[in-house]
Amino acid sequence: MRHVLLLSSVLILPVAASAQPGPGNLAVTIYNDNLALVQDTRQLNLPSGRSRQEFPNVSGQIQPETVTLGASDVSIVEQNFDFDLLSPGKLMEKAVGEEITLVRTNPATGAEERERARVLAVNGGVVLQIGNRIEVLRDDGLPVRVIFDKVPDNLRARPTLSVTLNSARGGTRPVTLSYLTGGMGWKADYVTLFDEQKGVIDVQGWVTLTNQTGTTFEGADTLLVAGNVAQNGQQQYYDPRQRRMMGGYPPPPPPPPPPGNRPGIETPGRESLGEFYLYPLKERTTIANQQTKQVSFLDVTGAAARRAFVFRNGWLQTQDQASSASSVLQFSSSRNAGLGDALPAGTVRVYMKDARGNAQFVGENQIGHTPMGSDIAIATGEAFDVKVQPVMEQRERVNDSRWRTRMRYTLTNASPRAVTVDLIQSGLSGDTRIAAESQKSSRRSADEAMWRVNVPANGEATVTATFDTRY
Amino acid sequence: MLFRRAALGFIAMMLAAAPAATQTIATSRGPDQVGVTVYRAPFRPPSERINLQWLNGFALITETRRVSIPAGEVDIRFEGVAGGILPESAIVTGLPSGVVEKNQDAYLLSPGSLIDASLGRRVHLRRTSRATGAVREVEAVVRSSAQGGVVLETEAGVEALRCTGLAETVTYERVPPGLAAKPTLSVRVRSERAAEATVTLSYLASGFDWQANYVAELSPDGKRMDLFAWLTLANADETGFRNANANAVAGRLNRSSHGGIRPRAEPLRLECWPMGTTSDVLQSMPISAVGGEEIVVTGSRIARADLASAPPPPPPPPPPMMAQQEELGDLKLYRIPEPVTVAAKSQKQVAFLDRDRVKVESLYRQRISVQDTSIRPVMRVITTRNSTAEGLGLPLPAGRVVLFAKGEARPVLIGQGSIGDNSVGEDVEIDVGAASAVTAQITSGPRPSRGGPIVAVPAFNQEWELTVSNAHPYPIRFEAELEPGDRKINSATALGRRDGRPLWAVTVPANGRATLRYSLNPSS
Repeated sequence: MRHVLLLSSVLILPVAASAQPGPGNLAVTIYNDNLALVQDTRQLNLPSGRSRQEFPNVSGQIQPETVTLGASDVSIVEQNFDFDLLSPGKLMEKAVGEEITLVRTNPATGAEERERARVLAVNGGVVLQIGNRIEVLRDDGLPVRVIFDKVPDNLRARPTLSVTLNSARGGTRPVTLSYLTGGMGWKADYVTLFDEQKGVIDVQGWVTLTNQTGTTFEGADTLLVAGNVAQNGQQQYYDPRQRRMMGGYPPPPPPPPPPGNRPGIETPGRESLGEFYLYPLKERTTIANQQTKQVSFLDVTGAAARRAFVFRNGWLQTQDQASSASSVLQFSSSRNAGLGDALPAGTVRVYMKDARGNAQFVGENQIGHTPMGSDIAIATGEAFDVKVQPVMEQRERVNDSRWRTRMRYTLTNASPRAVTVDLIQSGLSGDTRIAAESQKSSRRSADEAMWRVNVPANGEATVTATFDTRY
Repeated sequence: MLFRRAALGFIAMMLAAAPAATQTIATSRGPDQVGVTVYRAPFRPPSERINLQWLNGFALITETRRVSIPAGEVDIRFEGVAGGILPESAIVTGLPSGVVEKNQDAYLLSPGSLIDASLGRRVHLRRTSRATGAVREVEAVVRSSAQGGVVLETEAGVEALRCTGLAETVTYERVPPGLAAKPTLSVRVRSERAAEATVTLSYLASGFDWQANYVAELSPDGKRMDLFAWLTLANADETGFRNANANAVAGRLNRSSHGGIRPRAEPLRLECWPMGTTSDVLQSMPISAVGGEEIVVTGSRIARADLASAPPPPPPPPPPMMAQQEELGDLKLYRIPEPVTVAAKSQKQVAFLDRDRVKVESLYRQRISVQDTSIRPVMRVITTRNSTAEGLGLPLPAGRVVLFAKGEARPVLIGQGSIGDNSVGEDVEIDVGAASAVTAQITSGPRPSRGGPIVAVPAFNQEWELTVSNAHPYPIRFEAELEPGDRKINSATALGRRDGRPLWAVTVPANGRATLRYSLNPSS
């Protein structure tokens, strides 16, 4: 009984010494770009004068240079971030010159024999001095327990922040530790159910936050900030995850957005801070390590939406086969006719009901941070039944500097409803004029001309145009 | 005393459950009913077969589950979801009261995470004497993470796990909270009273794919074709779906999800201090050696079990169950009419098309650059139109085509091709392969004068001949799509046009030749 008591006191004390007690207040502000601000307030009993405080439970991806510590009547002497991690190898290396205890076990009888040894060197193997003899640890392969007297001070299980404080008085007071950390980020996910007959969408918006910091944040007061924070030197032009997901078939670079996007000019009734919209979570939540958490922020039913078709021919060239037009969903984030909110960047997933009334997935796309009042058009996929084949009928030289190119576009519609296709010819930059065309085009930009082509149900339409290009 | 112990136990339980004391957990073990809609890998070309080891398509899984929800704040955990779940796509409907939040925890229970989650906590260190078999257990506190070896603090001091040569291991009293066998999706709800609910859970999952596989049999005269098609579904997930309403969607969808957090199951890497000795004889490490052996044995066992449970090959048709096609927005949905089992790590085939005597045309063609005397081999192509008049007239999703000719005793494989997504009214063209009995050749004239030097003749004055030879005992159709470059073709033979290119279409007599003579002028 005495033995057990002794043991437990030995075991519990060190735990209590390294953990920082007291009810805390944890506030986490999460930005889109894998960045979060953690404010960790704890009640600490600080002695008067200098003392060293350890914070072992900070984020595993803390940016230690951003740490600040705030408490009354306290000045900071120094901050240290120790990342020398405790392992058997490190333990032995730090024991060079120190004494350790060996417990040898007789393989035949199981009898134990203890002796003290001094570690002379740890280079490829462990060389020990035992009394007057020198020996290599476990050279004979027999079992030997090595017992170290203590864990060296600067070896830690996790990267640990320690702060040396100079306190003007002793006593318990709140101490706030704040720092930036990577490994936490958020985006929006929109579940969009599209009813094509009625021309409406029901949209649920979820904020999706992920925690890969290696640390669990218990009962955190969480605020999400929508907007891009400049992070020096951390601009991500290339996302290796994309490559991994798509595997052996790398996707082509994303096409330019379809026509129908127009930024809005309305202000939502959201809390905002400068350029950023704020999405506070209603209650405290625990953000566990390796967790994906979703909280609802938007629920709209019956917003107007419609289907459009877009086909873009990249250059004045023939395509050997007809290819499908993009199927585009158009809607608005305006107060009167749309979702009535600013939309943080994220993924819009579109569902439609099948013949049995089950929602089926019909495609997804990304939106950027979208102000309220915007017209939004996202390509969800390709239309199976609506196809376009551009054919270059003729290209002839008019004179030394001008060429004339005659294009024919055949639009087919195998579906039993009439459709309108926005047919775009791009690659017109330079001095390119349309000399003749079978229907009036609009010039979207120097680079692109667009025809709105009506294609009858189960029918076909043709557009011809002659381009006059100067080289 | 008994009472006191019970009270202590109760307090211990309270302490252990303290972080989770505010909510209870309701677990849904698996779906009662499940629907699986499989989508093709968006960027896999039609000619490429499904690689069962590397499926890049995805699926929408829709599950119906009965859940009993106690009153108060409850975490409803959904077990048995597909491993490739994209957690941010999860939709939960049918809950009687509001969803507070949805969570997916991907910190998995593993030897390493047991150590990591027990950091600073008490565990048991058990040693078994190899000599006597006596077991000794001491208490220890974990002092290090699982990366690079485990350091324990015992009554005796600080020790490293398994660096001793003794038979020793760490045991735990319970699984630390927050660790699960698989990534687990949960929904936190707050309900005023207990209720039974039928919940629909749907989510996207990776690791699926499908394609159409066409089997075509050509009549002896080459004018008719029997076309049969399989809907081939593949599931690489470790989760199978029993009695599922299975569908497949044809057409290309836009995808932009990157996938969520990858599940993390920390391995336990036990490293010790340097173990070099004075001898270079390999130090016997009995424990790791045994461990290695065990891994091999289990591996082969699993492989054999997999083979045994692999589904039998699909039985031959008559009458095959046919998947039914319906419209889904701008896509095509194929519904398998009866519930089927989409087993884990398996491929499944259901027929969706069976048309006899489709009118086809068999022809030979090549795209020919008019000044290039090296011509690629002539290709044999089976063409038809996707219309009811020809015996088709239905959407044909992308896939590979295996083409047989009806032989006298047995069908003969004559080629394998593929078709892309083909809508009603489009031309269907199946490339069968290079022809050996039909050849095309370009020669240029005039011939150099006998004995004299070869005079370079300007190309546009030159006479050219394109000759097609047919070694078959029957006439064939031949089409040459000509690529004049920036030249104009002059020929006494009338040329057609296709897709902006001059087209020479000709019937070559049995065991005969046909020739196109032309010259080239600079354009304008």
